[in-house]
Amino acid sequence: MEDLIEITVTVNGRAVHERVPARMHAADFLRGQLGLTGTHVGCEQGVCGMCTVLLDGEAVKSCLLLAPQLDGHEVATVESLAPDEGLAPLQQAFKEAHALQCGFCTPGFLMTATALARSGRTLSRDDIREELTGVLCRCTGYENIVTAVDRHINGEHVDV
Amino acid sequence: MSETLEQTRTRANGVGAAALRKEDDRLLRGDGRFTDDVDPAHALHMAIGRCPFPHARILEIDVSAAAELEGVQQILVGAEVAQRTEPISVLRPVPGAPQLPYYALAGEVCVYEGQPVVSVVATSRAVAEDAIELIDIDYDPLPHVSDVLEALADDAPVLHPLQLSSNLLATNPQGNGDPDAVMAAAHIVVSDRFRINRVTGLPMEPRAIVAHWRPGARELTAHVSTQVPHLVRMQLAESLRLDEGDVRVITSDVGGGFGLKLGVYPEDVLACLHAIDLRRPVKWTEDRLEHFRATTHAREAVHDFAIGADADGRITAMTNTYTTDLGGQNSPFGSAQLSSIVFTGPYRVDDGFVQRRVALTNKTPVGAYRGYGQPEVNFARELLMDRLARRLGIDPLELRMRNMLAQEDLPWRNPAGALYDSGDYRLALQMVADAVDYDALRAAGRERPDGRRVGIGLTSFVERTGYASAKFLANRGSRYGAHESVTLRANRSGGIDLFTGVSSMGQSSETAFAQICSQVHGIAFDAIRVHAGDTGATPLNTGAFASRTLIAAAGAVSAAATELRDKTLRIAAHRLELDDVDGLEVDGDAVVVQGDPSRRIPLAELHMAAIIGQGIPVDEHPGLEATAHFEPEHAAYAFGSAAAVVAVDPETGDFEIERFVLVHDCGTMVNPTLVDGQVRGALAQGFGAALSEELRYDADTGQLVNGSMLDYFVPTAADLPPIELHHTEVPSPFTTFGVRGVGEIGTIPPGAAIANAVCDALADFDVQISRLPVTPELVWRELQQARNRSETP
Ligand code: FES
Ligand code: FES
Repeated sequence: MEDLIEITVTVNGRAVHERVPARMHAADFLRGQLGLTGTHVGCEQGVCGMCTVLLDGEAVKSCLLLAPQLDGHEVATVESLAPDEGLAPLQQAFKEAHALQCGFCTPGFLMTATALARSGRTLSRDDIREELTGVLCRCTGYENIVTAVDRHINGEHVDV
Repeated sequence: MSETLEQTRTRANGVGAAALRKEDDRLLRGDGRFTDDVDPAHALHMAIGRCPFPHARILEIDVSAAAELEGVQQILVGAEVAQRTEPISVLRPVPGAPQLPYYALAGEVCVYEGQPVVSVVATSRAVAEDAIELIDIDYDPLPHVSDVLEALADDAPVLHPLQLSSNLLATNPQGNGDPDAVMAAAHIVVSDRFRINRVTGLPMEPRAIVAHWRPGARELTAHVSTQVPHLVRMQLAESLRLDEGDVRVITSDVGGGFGLKLGVYPEDVLACLHAIDLRRPVKWTEDRLEHFRATTHAREAVHDFAIGADADGRITAMTNTYTTDLGGQNSPFGSAQLSSIVFTGPYRVDDGFVQRRVALTNKTPVGAYRGYGQPEVNFARELLMDRLARRLGIDPLELRMRNMLAQEDLPWRNPAGALYDSGDYRLALQMVADAVDYDALRAAGRERPDGRRVGIGLTSFVERTGYASAKFLANRGSRYGAHESVTLRANRSGGIDLFTGVSSMGQSSETAFAQICSQVHGIAFDAIRVHAGDTGATPLNTGAFASRTLIAAAGAVSAAATELRDKTLRIAAHRLELDDVDGLEVDGDAVVVQGDPSRRIPLAELHMAAIIGQGIPVDEHPGLEATAHFEPEHAAYAFGSAAAVVAVDPETGDFEIERFVLVHDCGTMVNPTLVDGQVRGALAQGFGAALSEELRYDADTGQLVNGSMLDYFVPTAADLPPIELHHTEVPSPFTTFGVRGVGEIGTIPPGAAIANAVCDALADFDVQISRLPVTPELVWRELQQARNRSETP
């Protein structure tokens, strides 16, 4: 059997102590070991962005991290966003803008947008487009995702 | 049938409303259930060893070292699989083609890089993958061929010598009139060879399966990421020699399909076989490198197209002989079959001939992908339309108008036999011209102060959506029909459970079906719960592909909702002591007497009465449930026109798409927001295939050069041009509510519009484009060629 490494991570606000195989990547740890299947895996090469989570508040690709590297850090996944019932404002913005179809990419965009919104930066629509290039979507053509993030960060616009 | 809609009242989330999606909350909360999220206790994990060569004979497989690795549970090789299973069935065979049976694992010869050769199941994925590394396979590489035309040359290595004497699988001619004679007599003929790139749909969710066998119950349960759970059930039962009753396929959320998840793949059969042998759940999720080699590719074709016309630019004949690349062997759907049916586009052509040839090459098998031949043929025809216009000195807009079928010409049968249903094709084109301000752009000229040239590229098209009946399909050997089905079951909370075999893959069928159900029945949209994709719970159906779901399902949902509503009203009349149901209607959560809102019975009460069979008319059976099947009698033809405005640097070939306008018609829109979403999504895939996507094979090694996300470039959020969408909404006379399919239309126009715009911008240089994708490098090369042409007298 492979060696297991003990780690302590704060995941979605709760401290977790787990033993993980040394070569397990963080996305597999979140999904397989913690059952947080909202974080998806699309390439394991750091390209598609499906696995994006927040690590100490910053959007990172969890397929590029090994689970042991999470030790001592704080991780937030898509499961942390919504209240017990209903949707958080960012999620609501996605729903109203029809910013998701199959929804496989959605957690990646939501976590990227959460980090963006918390950054407090002023962002034009084109800035948002650039900021979202780290997550791919094959269904929507992105426009509605940009609209949802724009509305969430900048408020409702009259012009389109 | 469009009156049906007008006769009923408008409902809050009924047909035509921009209802918010039923699918969204779970997906937004990270609570979707994709196949890889299914994680049963005691599951084992499968890994696949694949052939690294495009063509090779397997001399020996030595699994001894792998078998000794701790955690390895089972290893399968081709000989055993061939003995214990039937070949994977082809769902849509090529008409006239001999069978080319293939099994889940390669037999003696591998015909493409990535073909499964061994499968290993172990206690973890890591161990299974390590075991694959320990398996020693001795290959004898054979001569290979990857180019689709070279594959048909006399000296090409033949891939399937037992069944075929060449790599030509079949030839399918179709036509009308006497195109050869008319072409020979034409005032002008334009013709060229067009090469369409090999691409892949690349859904963000890879393929996946979790299979579990309970021997005592003789039940195989397979969670599969597929667009067609009921067809997968049939195929698995056939391959595994089980009764269909022994197999249950469950498909929850699918992370994009686009035609790639149509039917059984080899890995599905293997996971089930292992699960049956090992009596434990077996799980497999494709990794992205496997995806690029083992999940179907699409589009690659070479089109020889010719248009004959008179001096006024009136088309007199069209011919199109094209070769599609099937890859190394069959897939359940095979290479594109829809180029032929729409080859003449929206134009009046009486004399036409089209011929499809299907070739085998040592590449990954080709399957369906959004558009399925229609973007390909549109590219060839529409580029020639512009060349014809240029040769005759007629404006391309005017040339299209002159040849386009008028609204009163429809219904009209094209030379390939397609029956165009209805629509105002010219209006759509005119709307495009108005939206881009065509005349003003033309008047402003092509030259920009910064040295760039600006061009406008037009394209007009029709798109077949749905199928022309099961009879049509049966004549072509299809193993599925044209119908959709639905079961509606009233529940005791006053709601309706809607059961459909259509899995949810982003097309929003849960929402659209609920809108139709609410419209027809009267129950509130929110009181409808959709259960999708479990073959153990849903009525047998066809599946989500060919833009056919809604065309057929609208009829099924409508019929079932009518039946359920009528019975509900009869029970209500009985309980209200009324003679008949006149004046009663379902309004949200109750049956009400029109004009007297105080007289109402909650649906919960009526449903309970029906379910327990008390307080219902004596001649009514208990229960409140309806199943309906519906098969449209014809396909419906969506249509549209598009324009791209492109600025090109004539020195570097670099170009920028400044505007892209699409006007399209998908008949009655069940939900305009969802329609726009589908169109935008397909456009993005269309732009990808037009501008950057191409699976390239090394000519010497025959291996895929760019098979990873790092070097296969799909559009990101910053890569798409500004897109403007407009609709016309002419109902189809052939479908319930007048709907047409909408999922694929966006893939059709980008390639042609962009290429025509680039050529228009560079008209002074006489640049011609005849291949996809259109890259700055290609434009630069064509500029050099054009310059060389003009310099050599
Ligand atoms: S799975 Fe991590 S970036 Fe694709
Ligand atoms: S919604 Fe399907 S990949 Fe984005």
